[in-house]
Amino acid sequence: MRVDPSYVSNLVGSLDQSQANEQQLTAELSSGVSINALSQNPVAAGENVLLLNQIQQDDSFTQSSNLVTGQLQVADSALGDVVSQLTQAISLATSADNGTLNASDIKAVGSQISGILDEVQSLANSSYQGQYIFGGGQTSTTPFTTSTGGSPNATSYNGDQDVNYLSTPNGQKIQLNVPGSQIFLGSGSNSVFAALNSLVADYSSGTVNTTQAVSDTQALSTALGYVSQHRVTVDNSITQLAAASSAVTSSQTQLTGAQTNLMQADVATVSTQLSLAETQQTALEDVIAQLDQASNSLFSKLQ
Amino acid sequence: MGTINSAFSLISGALNADQSALSIAANNVANANTPGYTTEIPNWQENPPVTIGGVSYGDGVTETGPTSLRDRVLEERLGQQQQMASSSSARLTALNSVQALFVPDSGSTSATAGDIGSDITSFFSSFASLEADPTNSSLRQEVLSSATTLAGDVSNAAASLNTQRSAVDQEASGVTSQVNALTGAIAQLNQQIQTTTPDGDAGTLEDQRQQDLSQLSQLIGINQVQTENNGLSVTTTSGQLLVSEGSSFQLTSGPIGGVTNFFVGTTNITSQLASGGGQLGGLLTARDQDIPSAANALDQLAFNVSTQVNALNNAGTDLNGVTGTVANPLNIFSQPAAVAGSAVAMCVVMTNPSQIAAAAAGQGTGDNSNTTAMANLANQNIVGGQTPTGFYSSFVSTLGATVSGVQADNTAQNASVTQLQSQNNALSGVNLNDEAAAMSTLQNSYQAASQVFTMLNTIMESALNLGTETTVS
Repeated sequence: MRVDPSYVSNLVGSLDQSQANEQQLTAELSSGVSINALSQNPVAAGENVLLLNQIQQDDSFTQSSNLVTGQLQVADSALGDVVSQLTQAISLATSADNGTLNASDIKAVGSQISGILDEVQSLANSSYQGQYIFGGGQTSTTPFTTSTGGSPNATSYNGDQDVNYLSTPNGQKIQLNVPGSQIFLGSGSNSVFAALNSLVADYSSGTVNTTQAVSDTQALSTALGYVSQHRVTVDNSITQLAAASSAVTSSQTQLTGAQTNLMQADVATVSTQLSLAETQQTALEDVIAQLDQASNSLFSKLQ
Repeated sequence: MGTINSAFSLISGALNADQSALSIAANNVANANTPGYTTEIPNWQENPPVTIGGVSYGDGVTETGPTSLRDRVLEERLGQQQQMASSSSARLTALNSVQALFVPDSGSTSATAGDIGSDITSFFSSFASLEADPTNSSLRQEVLSSATTLAGDVSNAAASLNTQRSAVDQEASGVTSQVNALTGAIAQLNQQIQTTTPDGDAGTLEDQRQQDLSQLSQLIGINQVQTENNGLSVTTTSGQLLVSEGSSFQLTSGPIGGVTNFFVGTTNITSQLASGGGQLGGLLTARDQDIPSAANALDQLAFNVSTQVNALNNAGTDLNGVTGTVANPLNIFSQPAAVAGSAVAMCVVMTNPSQIAAAAAGQGTGDNSNTTAMANLANQNIVGGQTPTGFYSSFVSTLGATVSGVQADNTAQNASVTQLQSQNNALSGVNLNDEAAAMSTLQNSYQAASQVFTMLNTIMESALNLGTETTVS
């Protein structure tokens, strides 16, 4: 049987291949990444794009949620203050309505309620990072302004009914704001500002039209109910955000784990493969060296 | 009756035959490393016997010349396999440069520079962040800067693909002159072979012709047809005549639509060459199929993202209360006119972040519903029936699968070439052991023949001197 006389060059080809293999494995070890080119694992490369997309979306949501939580907390604390101010106004009005106070005391109540009105209006005009939080979409316009001179004075709303939502990575929408009109203007006559303005007007003269004042006080209580009700919306959003954030964080952890498994080189496996490749290369080199030392052909034996 | 004289002539014939056989062996050893050389063996022929008075006497041996050890079928199969292997090898080289543009993001750093997948996500995430605070100017700036990164990376990748395509094109057109040189040489060898050895193996000339064919097989896909008088015709795999016995037909190239096309005479054979094999086939497949398909994917991505984002931004109200119009559009990206070429041209034209229309039309500037709509584009099937990220993911998977497929083909074809080469070497390669053995045998037979000669000489002396030893020596 005849054999290929140039078998040493074939061995050199194998040596090249084993060296390329070693280079690849060394690159994996040094970079810690098992896929350095798409062709090494096309499916994993595609999956990796999707995983990184989700991880990045989660990451971005976590940042947004921190930002938004601040804004919601400002809204919540403003509404909390409004509730306590209104409670105080109601208790002042109730004491003025029961006919036990003299004229100057009633005037004093009127001016206290007027002070509360200013305070509530300034709380309703709260802003976060320069943007009014109760103005709907009109965040750069002062939401509530009071025109003086009327009796009672009129407080008007300059914002709109726009509601913003933050979408979570899984599509849930979390309400970010409650338009000031819903909170403070209530429905019909149950407006915080109308009630407060009327009470201020009721008590300004020192004599009280009890029927009117009681009805206005009643209106303020109803309005307070609305405020509390909408404060719950804000609180709900804070709770939802916290829940969504923690869900996102745990999903991010899982995704990062999956992505790491997908892309990171398994050091133990790669080391073993590298050691095998080294052994193979040494063996090949030895064989070639031996063939080189051994007589290359029968010629060396001929005299 | 045989005579001493006839024994003399017989043994001197044997010495001649041994000498020519030794020279054949020496030539084999000398050409052991010559590419394309096929080992030659001496042909021994018994001389016709002489019949005298009804008795036949042997008349020695003649060496009638060397025969090259070749297997035409094996050589042709090797050529065909070489065409496939060099085709996939050229294609693989081109594809490797393509996939180098889309290195998978390891995820160890938050954003690897130049990774389009991360860019897409960052871009749409910047809208999601803007949802939280639609008037925040640093978040708005973030939208523009992530848009710039996305546009820059897409445009860079597309420009690199174009460069690679023209590099491959140039390489392909460079093959033409090599092909013509080889077909010319084959035609010339055909003439020589047909005149000198019309009815036998042409030895060295045949080796040269085979070597040229083998080189031609690495360049383009060919078929060979044996013709009369030991001639050879070569056609492309699609049947276009390149060499017809003594004449060759030039392969010419010229630009059509910005790329090199290939002609024989006036026939455009570019597409046949692409599927034909050889280096040229691989290069043309990469040039006309692989690179354009990657470029087209980027174009689709760039076109749809630009168009959809622009359309939404024009539908909303920006921070200045302005809504885009046809005359004064609020475009974030330069609006592409057609899908083709939109990736290279992708760029951000908006300079003022306040022009991002975060609010829906008619809403106050604090509204975020249009931002939400733009962020939602990330989850809508806006590019080829998939989400932008999904589209990019399938694109890299497909590209990776193509490269890996060609790689596997190439490995298999190279293994097959090596195997056929081994078989061919086993038959046609110079085996030094064989030659050593042949030399040794020939040495012995030459020594034996010369010994016989010396003995005949002595016998002849004795005959001439009639037993007296001194007269003639």
